[in-house]
Amino acid sequence: MDLSVDVGGFVVKNPVIAASGVLGYGEEYARVGNIDWFGAVTVKGTTLRPRHGNCPPRIWETPSGLLNSIGLQNPGVDEVITHYLPQLAQFDVPIIVNISGETYEEFQEIAKKLADCPHVTALEVNVSCPNVESGGMAFGTDPGSCYRATRAVRRNWPGPLIVKLTPNVTNISEMAKAAVDAGATCVSLINTLLGMAIDIQNKRPALGNIKGGLSGPAVKPVAVRCVWEVFQSVSVPVIGMGGVFSWEDALEFIMAGASAVALGTAVLVDPYAPKKIVDGIQSYCESNGIDSMSSIVGIAQV
Amino acid sequence: MSQLDILDVPAKVISVDRREGDAFRAILYAPEIASRAKPMQFINVRVQESLDPLLRRPFSLSDVNPHVGTIEITWMVVGRGTKMMTQWKPNQTVHVLGPLGNGVGPDFLENKRKLILLAGGTGFAPIQLLGVRAREKGVDTILIYGAKSRHLLMNTDRLKEVGCKICTCTEDGSYGSKGLVTDMAELQLELIAEEKIDPENLVALGCGPTPMLAAIKNLFADTNIPLYISLESKMACGYGLCQGCAVRAVDPQRGYYRVCTDGPVFLAKDVELESE
Repeated sequence: MDLSVDVGGFVVKNPVIAASGVLGYGEEYARVGNIDWFGAVTVKGTTLRPRHGNCPPRIWETPSGLLNSIGLQNPGVDEVITHYLPQLAQFDVPIIVNISGETYEEFQEIAKKLADCPHVTALEVNVSCPNVESGGMAFGTDPGSCYRATRAVRRNWPGPLIVKLTPNVTNISEMAKAAVDAGATCVSLINTLLGMAIDIQNKRPALGNIKGGLSGPAVKPVAVRCVWEVFQSVSVPVIGMGGVFSWEDALEFIMAGASAVALGTAVLVDPYAPKKIVDGIQSYCESNGIDSMSSIVGIAQV
Repeated sequence: MSQLDILDVPAKVISVDRREGDAFRAILYAPEIASRAKPMQFINVRVQESLDPLLRRPFSLSDVNPHVGTIEITWMVVGRGTKMMTQWKPNQTVHVLGPLGNGVGPDFLENKRKLILLAGGTGFAPIQLLGVRAREKGVDTILIYGAKSRHLLMNTDRLKEVGCKICTCTEDGSYGSKGLVTDMAELQLELIAEEKIDPENLVALGCGPTPMLAAIKNLFADTNIPLYISLESKMACGYGLCQGCAVRAVDPQRGYYRVCTDGPVFLAKDVELESE
């Protein structure tokens, strides 16, 4: 069965995307799995200048969850364009580049550089990273700032434009609407939930950066609720993510309104997760007489 | 790009047994990993097939037998995951991802006459395999091994059997000499100096708690003997994706290394250790 689906100006061969930050630039994952198991790959949060990332410890396990404070470690957009994207482009998978600016001008500049790169299918505007001091989540918690950040990218990027939203807001639909008004062709959600933990042996915060982003199965019900709400308020496709670990989870997101799902933490735990999830969706659809992905997107909406 | 040299395999538990003191040992049947693994590499193990605990747990290989297809891990209980592992039953299957990390290749012992191994507590586990391999190559090997107390020492018989010289110490004096690995290493370095071996023919590798590694790094800084250290870190993926296991590089341009793929073995002079 054909699992392809449109995610706002481009088509993915299956609805399972690698979330930003989880696949590096492909070289590490290629030692373990096949990158083309994914419908698309999102490159880790890319900034104008290189970032070394946050002080360790950077990860901490919680019940069915993972707290992280990596801090957008990346070599900077120029190096990503010259060195990493050509390498990732060897695989027959659309490349989405997640971008993060500290100012609107930076967003605009990063978009301009990537617009000249032949390997990029779509940009994902990161207005939702909880782990950086400037920019990051600040853009995604106010509709006006979300609009301006998206607009800044739109000015220099003519192609498919995804805006990645944070769940750390009272009304995520308002942010989605602001992004779409500014030219987003797709919204992806959720980024991690702001959280923290205390290491009682050391009597200190568990993470070097004190607070971090919570991901994994622990956040899934929050993510499904956000997808449900956003599906009702915007007409562009939604990429759902947040604790997708199985094909059943993926279908839950799709039926709530996601056109595709993204895997993050699941890949860290099980490198073969994308294959298992794609196969699972396939056999569910076949045994339930479903002939296109689009026919079940948002089917649970009442 | 190198392709598919890391595998996630369902490994059959052959045995789990309590060793001396607080240590546990599991032998797993994983021929694909046993045939590929180098000393000081590690595996990332799914404790059980549930979402809690969520992450795998990284363990270095304390022994590998490629002929029968088994790998061995040795650990002490430090939390929920390591406690659950003590309940593994023979014939059950656990998912094992590996072999991971750089490990040490055959060139590590090239032209070496003497290998100095320094281990603290559970840091002995990977050292055991390296010691065995070194002795197979006929390299004169000395192990300096310490822990806080006797029950935190692992069994060193395997190295004794292959003819490795072993010096043991505990901080409380409950076994071996009373003192720290560093104290004993200082003494042994004096003895080695008397042997007049060209430093080029010597190599040292340490694995243990960070304060111990920092102390031996200082000690070896005054010698010309290359010192490698094997680091431990909390990890999610174990193969370079998440950047979670960062350790600060001495070179500010480099920023951080990943313990999982840039290491776990580093030249001591390349990494910043917390207690320095």
